[in-house]
Amino acid sequence: MGTIGRAGLATTVGAAIRRFVGGGALATRSPPPRPLPPLKAARIAIERYGVAVAAVAVALGASLLLHRYRIERLEFPIFLFELALVVWYLGLGPAILAVVLSSLAFNYFFTEPLYTFYVNRTDLAYYIVFVLFAMLLTWFSAVRRRFERELLQSRDELQKEVAVRTQQASLLELTHDTIFVRDMDDVITYWNRGAQELFGWTAEEAVGKRSPQLLHTKFPIPVEDLREELVRASRWEGELERSKADGSRVVVASRWSLRRDGLGRPLAILETNNDVSDRKRREEEIRTLNQELGKRSSELEASNKELEAFAYSISHDLRAPLRHMVGYTELLQKHASSTLDEKSRRFMATILDSTKRMGNLIDDLLSFSRIARTETRETTVSLQQLVKEVRDEIQPETSGRDIAWRVGELPELRGDRAMLRLALVNLISNAVKFTRKRQHAEIEIGCLEKKNDGVTVFVKDNGVGFDMKYVNKLFGVFQRLHRAEAFEGTGIGLATVQRIIHRHGGKVWAEALLDAGATFFIEVPNRR
Amino acid sequence: MADTLGRILLVEDDPKDVELTLTALEDYNLTNEVVVARDGEEALDYLYSRGSFKMRTNENPAVLLLDLKLPKIDGLEVLQTLKSDPKLKMIPVVVLTSSREERDMVASYKLGVNAYVVKPVDFHEFVNAIKELGVFWAIINEPPPGSVKRKQA
Repeated sequence: MGTIGRAGLATTVGAAIRRFVGGGALATRSPPPRPLPPLKAARIAIERYGVAVAAVAVALGASLLLHRYRIERLEFPIFLFELALVVWYLGLGPAILAVVLSSLAFNYFFTEPLYTFYVNRTDLAYYIVFVLFAMLLTWFSAVRRRFERELLQSRDELQKEVAVRTQQASLLELTHDTIFVRDMDDVITYWNRGAQELFGWTAEEAVGKRSPQLLHTKFPIPVEDLREELVRASRWEGELERSKADGSRVVVASRWSLRRDGLGRPLAILETNNDVSDRKRREEEIRTLNQELGKRSSELEASNKELEAFAYSISHDLRAPLRHMVGYTELLQKHASSTLDEKSRRFMATILDSTKRMGNLIDDLLSFSRIARTETRETTVSLQQLVKEVRDEIQPETSGRDIAWRVGELPELRGDRAMLRLALVNLISNAVKFTRKRQHAEIEIGCLEKKNDGVTVFVKDNGVGFDMKYVNKLFGVFQRLHRAEAFEGTGIGLATVQRIIHRHGGKVWAEALLDAGATFFIEVPNRR
Repeated sequence: MADTLGRILLVEDDPKDVELTLTALEDYNLTNEVVVARDGEEALDYLYSRGSFKMRTNENPAVLLLDLKLPKIDGLEVLQTLKSDPKLKMIPVVVLTSSREERDMVASYKLGVNAYVVKPVDFHEFVNAIKELGVFWAIINEPPPGSVKRKQA
């Protein structure tokens, strides 16, 4: 009965104490989040020692009670049991107090001579055994307590570590990058969601398989070299060709990192892969296109060279005979003018006229072809200034005529000055030419409202105009919409204008009514 | 003497151009002052007094009228040889050509040509141009030392 009662008491007391000890143990471990206030700590200490004293008292009471009922020789195990409990639940300090108190109580009440602290010779051994036994118990308990504390500590650290690792692993799982880990035998040990998305195998399917076999990896260099590089630098980067679960091939930019153990021995390889198939394909396309372009441009260059040689030859060789025809005709005229009749003189004048026309044609053609052949030299060009210059230049054609000029505000633009000038010369002298039959000619030069960062300039006249059904012929080389005897010209002027504006990345167009004037537009993008 | 020594060296391969040029120079009695070389090689032979010009005196012409498109050695090569020779580089050179090509013009000026004239197709303009050239370079301009002296009229 008594034993049971004591055991019950011990359990309750133990449970209560464990709370405090537990708290104390926690306090001695890694820095506590909040240290106990000194008052509370002192109270807990007093309680612990109090309980120890109470335990000794209970043991003593129980022993004395048993002695009353003549149940003897049980006091020794009772005290040891009490000590064990105290050591177990209250820790070293209270245990030492309990050992001292128990020894004294044991000595006083149960060793001969009774009721003195004196120990006689025969009982000395018995007493010493008790004390030693109590100390051994205390020591065991202390060791056990230390182990327990350390174990708890490791467990907590482990738990924290696991939490961190779990979080990291779930982060790896979250990323869209393809990540997997394999050991040094290429056996896959980790396979994230990105890997599943790219290659099509689930983690269950992939983990445990050997990666080169699963993915049919094609390496750019021998695997041995790659391994060597990886072990040497701990990392490797390159492009690999691999298979998906559906059998299709994929090109990946692969980055490998080597994980080593504490001794530096390779443990595992972490692989990050990115699908670059699209990029590869585009690169391939670009390469093909570039080759094509290279071929085209060399063809173009060749034909350009030919064109240049042709133009050069025209420039030299075609002009010389023309000059001779003119020269000798003139000389003939001079030498034979007295003997020639009116008709012969007219024939000769016609020859001279024709050669002159041919000379103009050659010159125009050459300047037309020069536009295509020469590099554009881009500067900021003031159209206002340019129009003024052009009007001065064509002054001889306008003298003696009644022309009302209306020149609006004109902008600046980026372009080749000489070429733009030539374009304006053509447009403005055309306006002058085709208004020749008007009593009162009107020529307007202006700029349309800016749009799309481009400049649109127009030249408008009230001349003879043209039928819009021939508008598509207007800008062709040698295309003329008027008879030569009505309006002279080589049919190259507007073709030149178009070519110049095209070289500036712009466009030209015209609006007209037969016998009611024409308007020519040029639009040039204002490039920076 | 007149056919091997002159103040104007005309380098021109086309006989018609030669004739027209000489005709233009007639008015100022400059025809006799003209030596004609029919290609670049002959021009250099004359300038270096070699080949058929071995016997000529060592004086330089007062001006060289140089066509560009010539057989054997072209005008630009003649110009280059001339302008890189310390003894000949002082001779004034006028390029007289049919070509208005910019690259010819640029190349000529880079080599140090003294003038560049495009032969006009119009005969009157042509005659005027040649006359003015002849008058300027053979009469008005003082040639560098070592040039053929002007015959006193």
